[in-house]
Amino acid sequence: MSELKGMNRQVEQALVNLKSGRPEDVERALETLQETVYGFGMKVCGVREDAEDTAQETLIRLARQLKEFPDARALVVWLYKVAKTQCLMSRRKSKFAPAQMLSLDALMPRESGATPPPMKSWEITPEEILLNKELRSKLKDAVLALPKHYRLVLILRDMEQLDTREVAEVMGISEETTKMRLHRARVFLRNALAGYVQRSQPWERKEHD
Amino acid sequence: MTDRHCKQIFAMLSEYLDAQLPAKNCRQLERHLKGCRPCIAYLESLKTTMEACRRYKAPRVPALSKQMKAALLAAVQKGREKR
Repeated sequence: MSELKGMNRQVEQALVNLKSGRPEDVERALETLQETVYGFGMKVCGVREDAEDTAQETLIRLARQLKEFPDARALVVWLYKVAKTQCLMSRRKSKFAPAQMLSLDALMPRESGATPPPMKSWEITPEEILLNKELRSKLKDAVLALPKHYRLVLILRDMEQLDTREVAEVMGISEETTKMRLHRARVFLRNALAGYVQRSQPWERKEHD
Repeated sequence: MTDRHCKQIFAMLSEYLDAQLPAKNCRQLERHLKGCRPCIAYLESLKTTMEACRRYKAPRVPALSKQMKAALLAAVQKGREKR
């Protein structure tokens, strides 16, 4: 099995706590999983009420169906699969862009032989973990402007840090389709953010997480 | 970036950044990058976009209500007993 990273490590600890059965451990596990699913819901739906519904419904299903997850990976895939379905169902307030195809050809920069315009300088100290407000807002809007199947793949892979195979499993698509959607989504975002992010960020000097 | 080679390279950038590009394509891409500033610049900006995504955090999660917490704990307990 591949090494657990990022989100999977947190979920692994939550799984240990859930399995322990001790009320305080179970409570801590539920809080961790709520945070995971709520965060995912906010990124996908962009609306607090829908993210809350997603987190609640997913946790209720998890609690009711508490099955033997063999490992954190299985729980991660199950969790995001259920949360993804809930997100797509709770569309009362969320705005979903039409389910269109993104063409790589159309996304490719057109300027022949010219270097793409440099991204504007954007200050951030290495200590800052969160992005600055302007970029945060641009990023959020750009993600929400992505057609849903591209948005989900991008969020799962680049924000939730699942690996390609896990994303493919959550989405119920092949790894090849996952990679294709991911690349188009990244290019779409990069083009939407042009002018807000500079090429070299101070944080690149230091390893985080 | 309208050159035919640039188009081929453009389609491979994400897999390259994810270290998932087959060795043969990797060599082809790196050879191209040596002489193509627009592709290098685009690769760098794509990398920065991915880093911005990695660092993006959703707003703080609201605490679970007491009732919700109690209901979930009871459901977990029930789920455990079922097994």
